[in-house]
Amino acid sequence: MISVLVTGATTTVGESLVRSLVADTRVRHVLAVAREAPEQAPLFSHGNRLTYLQVDLARSRHVRELLFGPARDLGVEVVVHLNQQDSGFQRGRRTHAANVEALRAMMDLADRHPTIRRLVLKSYAVVYKVSLELPVLVREEHPLNLSPKAPQYIRDRVEADLTACARMGLSSYETVVLRCAEAIGPGTGSQLFDYLDAPIAFRPMGFDPMVNVSTVEDVVCALERATHGSGEGVFNVPGFDTLPLSEAIRKWGTPSLPLPGPLVSKAYTLRHRLTGSKFSYGLNRNRLHLGLVLDGHRAADVLGYTPSHPLDWPVGGPVADPRLPA
Amino acid sequence: MPFSPRIARALTTVLGDSGIRDRAERLHYANAGHGYDAFGLNPEFVGLGEVIGKLAYEKYFRVQSYGAENIPSSGPGILAANHSGTLPMDGAMLWVDVIRHTNPPRCSRALADYFVPSLPVVSTLFARCGVVGGSRGNAQALLEAGELLMIFPEGVPGIGKPFSERYRLQHWTKGHCELAIRHGAPVIPVGIVGAEEQMPQIARIPVSGPIPYIPIPATLVPLPTKYHIHYGEPIPLHEEFSPEDADDPEIVREAAARVKSAVQALLERGLSMRKGIFR
Repeated sequence: MISVLVTGATTTVGESLVRSLVADTRVRHVLAVAREAPEQAPLFSHGNRLTYLQVDLARSRHVRELLFGPARDLGVEVVVHLNQQDSGFQRGRRTHAANVEALRAMMDLADRHPTIRRLVLKSYAVVYKVSLELPVLVREEHPLNLSPKAPQYIRDRVEADLTACARMGLSSYETVVLRCAEAIGPGTGSQLFDYLDAPIAFRPMGFDPMVNVSTVEDVVCALERATHGSGEGVFNVPGFDTLPLSEAIRKWGTPSLPLPGPLVSKAYTLRHRLTGSKFSYGLNRNRLHLGLVLDGHRAADVLGYTPSHPLDWPVGGPVADPRLPA
Repeated sequence: MPFSPRIARALTTVLGDSGIRDRAERLHYANAGHGYDAFGLNPEFVGLGEVIGKLAYEKYFRVQSYGAENIPSSGPGILAANHSGTLPMDGAMLWVDVIRHTNPPRCSRALADYFVPSLPVVSTLFARCGVVGGSRGNAQALLEAGELLMIFPEGVPGIGKPFSERYRLQHWTKGHCELAIRHGAPVIPVGIVGAEEQMPQIARIPVSGPIPYIPIPATLVPLPTKYHIHYGEPIPLHEEFSPEDADDPEIVREAAARVKSAVQALLERGLSMRKGIFR
């Protein structure tokens, strides 16, 4: 029986994870934290196995008070860190504090914490570098996107990922980094969801890269396995669906319009200004041209995770697993 | 792609023959779930690719194949061939030839130069037919999945070799042998005769951008030279060396020299066998 601290608990993935952990008989208590006030997080019923707290992790004092207050009192052994700003347009010191410094503070404090023995970081496939000379099928050793020109959204995620990786083997607790494929769905903060869910999807003319997309269920499944597992490491968490971008657009039922690259950029900049949409072409430029598919062999071998929840596509529904007999 | 696999299938049915349709249906590939493999290959487009290549293969270049039994019917393998002709028609003809002469049909996975995935339309069409960017990671993943790679160790300099250098192998890269030793794959030498005269190049204009240069050929379209594709016996580097030997530059260099000699020998045999450039 373990107690688990979940940060970013009001995100779609966070909520699903908390529900799943509360239903898990191996879990003694779940301490769920997020920036939202408890009345704005009504989905959690505060039973005797769940505690919800409003905490702003961008403030290091709050992190300290959390870890050496309620987390210590509840005997939290595993921290699942999901706290990342979703918007591709947010930037600045405060965003960086939430995205990176919160994790750094948590890791510093966890090192001298009496009960924490494991930290699971949900990272993102977007940390990987996409370029012509690199493979499409990406393993964990694949270079990360360390470009100084990358948007803060990506740089923060890379920094958080590297911060966690750099402490592996040097801390009193185990660290697991899960680089997850994008979970498509409302409220997931998915750039691709916003792209597909638009009235029209603009595509760079002549390009149709392969994309790998996941579901909240599969991401939660991987997080649970990492929570209960032992040992540390970096793991790709691919989704079930691997398909060309054009096929994803078609299955989503969105009309698409191929345009020359510079026009796609302008179209999405205009769309963001007019409608406040979340999709940023700058963040996604490379993957709208070149494919990136996560190789999940390591997660399958070590964590026992294989994607098993296909996306329920609006057109055509979920695809059957080709690995299973018909 | 501007059209779906269903349309590709319909076009294959209308424009192709039952053999092509049958081969597309029996093609073995690692379906990642939606009818495509992780690199974008789709058997319906492979069928369509064969339909497109059929006219050139049968009527224009009148390809004749020798020693196709040397292509492994399953498991990893590397086809190492000479490269020439200004336009990579040799790659296309070899690709069609392998599909036609393997049972069950195999789609050889050509490793293209880095600039190819940056080309609009071409990159997508190539990917659907099994071509992948020539990175080490892609080659490694494909060999581990038991795929048949098509590598032109002369690379872009080979395709742009001057007419006076025809059938003389250019700088021969060694990566294919390193891959073969490390991943336990036999190397099948391939000599393609006919392509080196198809489009004599008289000049080239270096450019900066996705492509390395603009070729200036003597003819606007490739000449209808007759292709002769010769497959040599597999060179079992994987049986002679252990995977760790792939780190030894001397072993890899010697292995590459063996493959180069084998391809050169196939070219000389092919040149002596043919009756003329167009026959």
